[in-house]
Amino acid sequence: MKKLIWLTTLLILFIVFFVPAFLALGIKLIPNGDQPGYRPDQRLSIYGKRDVTQKFISSAGNLSAIGTSVRNPNLKNKKDIVLSLYNEKMEMVRTVTINGQNVEDGNFIKFIFDPILDSTNKTYFFSLGSPDAGPEETIEVFVSQNMPVWIEQYVYDDKSYQGGLPIVLYFKPVSKVTVIKSIYLDLFSRLLNTPSR
Amino acid sequence: MKKLLLLAIVLRILVSMFLFHPDIKTFNYQASFLKKGVFNIYNYLVENKKSLPLKDGFVYFPLTYIALGGYQAIVSPLFGNGFDSWLADAGVNSFVKNPQIFKYLILLKFPYLVLDIAIAFLLMEFFENKENKKKAFVYWLFNPFTIFIIYAFSNVDIFPVILTVLAFLMLKKQKLFAAGLLLGLASGFKLYPLLFIPFLFLAGRSLKEKLVLCLTPIITFCLIVLPFISPAFFQSALVSGLTTGIFASDFATLALAILFFYAAIIDGGDKDHKKTDLFNYWLALFLIIFSFALFHIQWLLWLAPFLVILAIKKPVLSRLILVLGLLAFAVPLLYQDRSMTISLFRVYSTWFDMLPIPFTFIQKIYDPDNLQTVIHSVLAGGSMVMTYKIFKENN
Repeated sequence: MKKLIWLTTLLILFIVFFVPAFLALGIKLIPNGDQPGYRPDQRLSIYGKRDVTQKFISSAGNLSAIGTSVRNPNLKNKKDIVLSLYNEKMEMVRTVTINGQNVEDGNFIKFIFDPILDSTNKTYFFSLGSPDAGPEETIEVFVSQNMPVWIEQYVYDDKSYQGGLPIVLYFKPVSKVTVIKSIYLDLFSRLLNTPSR
Repeated sequence: MKKLLLLAIVLRILVSMFLFHPDIKTFNYQASFLKKGVFNIYNYLVENKKSLPLKDGFVYFPLTYIALGGYQAIVSPLFGNGFDSWLADAGVNSFVKNPQIFKYLILLKFPYLVLDIAIAFLLMEFFENKENKKKAFVYWLFNPFTIFIIYAFSNVDIFPVILTVLAFLMLKKQKLFAAGLLLGLASGFKLYPLLFIPFLFLAGRSLKEKLVLCLTPIITFCLIVLPFISPAFFQSALVSGLTTGIFASDFATLALAILFFYAAIIDGGDKDHKKTDLFNYWLALFLIIFSFALFHIQWLLWLAPFLVILAIKKPVLSRLILVLGLLAFAVPLLYQDRSMTISLFRVYSTWFDMLPIPFTFIQKIYDPDNLQTVIHSVLAGGSMVMTYKIFKENN
C-alpha cells in the first residue's frame, strides 16, 4: 500500500508540475494572440486575378507563419492557394503554396514559411490568391473593419479598406527554455492574479 | 489515516485546479439556470437556443441539473460576480486565460471531492477486518485512475456512482427497498443503473422481493423524470448518444443478453439462491459494456469502486484489474478528441493547441483506429477472463 501511495503521489505531482514543461518542448510556433473576432457574413471571394492584400505589423522577431480562416464551399477548390509575403518596400520575402484539396470549408489554415529573423515591429503585406481557380472554385476569407491596430488595412478589387482578415501571426521561439519560462510565468501571474504577458 | 486523507485531498485539489475538461463549463453553464428560476432545463435550452451563447442541449438526467444547479445557488457568493459571465463565455481562449479559473475549478469540483472521500469511507463498510478496511480506503484514494477520471475529466458521474455503492451496501444489509430506491435515485442522474434491473429481478427470492427490487428503482426514476417529460427531454437526454451508446454495439447487446440468460438459467434455477451474487453480475455487466461498446472515459468510474472491493476480496485478480484499467484508460485517449489529452492542460497555456494529439502522432506510424480496436480486443479478452474467474470462484 505504501508503494501505491508513493507512486500515485509522485505521478500526480509529475503530471501537474512537470508534464506541461515536457509538452512545451514540442511547441514549434508561438501565436501572437487569439484570432480576432469576425462576422461570418462579411467575406471576400478569391479566385483568378481577384486576390486580397493585407497590411500588418509583426510584433516580434522570427515571424514564421500566418493563419486565418478560409472557406472552401463544397470543397470545390482543388487548385493552388498562394500566400506571398512582402516587406515594406514591396519586395517579396516569402511565398507559400498549399492545395485547395487540403482546405476544408471554414478551417483555420496556417501558411508556414522559413522564419524572418528581424521581423520585430516591421510592416509587411501579404497577398492571398488562388490564381488558377475559376469563379466556380472560389475560396472565401473573412474580413472586418474592427481589427486590432496591427491589422492595419486591406486592398480588394483595387480599393483600400481599414481592418482586414482575422489573422494570427506565429513566431518561432528563440529557445525551448524561453517557451517553458513564459508558460510558467504566465501561469503563476494568473495564479497570483497579476497582469501577465 | 488523517495524514493520508489530507494528502489525498491535496492531490485532488492540485488536479482540480490545473486540469480542465470543457464539459464542466458546459454542464455548469446549463445548471446555472436553476438559480435563475428555470426548472425544465430541457425545454428552456431548446426554446432559447438562438439567444444563448452556448447551444448544446442538456444531455444528463434531471437530478444532475438539480444537484449542480442547487450547489451553485448555495455557494454562489463564493464564486463571485464574474462567474456567470465566465460560464457563458463562448470564446475559444478567453475563459481559460481568466485568472479566476483556478478558483472556479476548485469550487466546481468541490462536490466531487466530498463524494469521492465519502466513497472511500463507504467502501470500508464492505469489510469486517481493519486491514481490509484500510486497503479499501487507500486503494480508492490513491489509485490514479479515479483521481484523473473524476477531477481531470470533471466527471459528474460521481453522483450516481456513490448512490450505487450505497445501494450495494444496502443489499449487503438485506435492505432491499432502500437499495432499489438508491438505484432509482442514481438513474435520476444517469440511466445506467437501470440496466441492472433484470438481474435484480432474478435475485429476488420471492415474488415480493422481486417486485421490490425491480419496481422501486423504476418508479423512483419515473417520478424523477415525470415533471421533465417533453420532446426536448427525449431528444436531449433519453435518446442522446450518452444514454444509448451502450447499445450501439451489437456485440455489447449480444454479450449482455448472454449474461442475462446465464443468470436466468444458472442462478434462476437455483431455488435457494445461494449462488446469486449481484456484485458479480454488476461487475460482469460493466466489464462487458467496456469490452464491446465505444465508451466514454467517464463511464469507467461506474465500475471503479466495485473493482476496489474485488481487488481486496480476490487479491489474485488485482494485477489483471490494473492491466485492464490501463487498457480501458488508453482507449479513449486515442479518440480524435483534443479534450481527452492535450487540451486538459489548456489552463497552463493555450499554446498547447499547437501540439498534435496522440491520434495525430500515432497516425504517422500506424492507424490509430486500428490500434484502438486492438487495445479494445485485448480489453475484451481480459474482461472475459476476469468474468469467468469471478463466476468460477463463486461457484
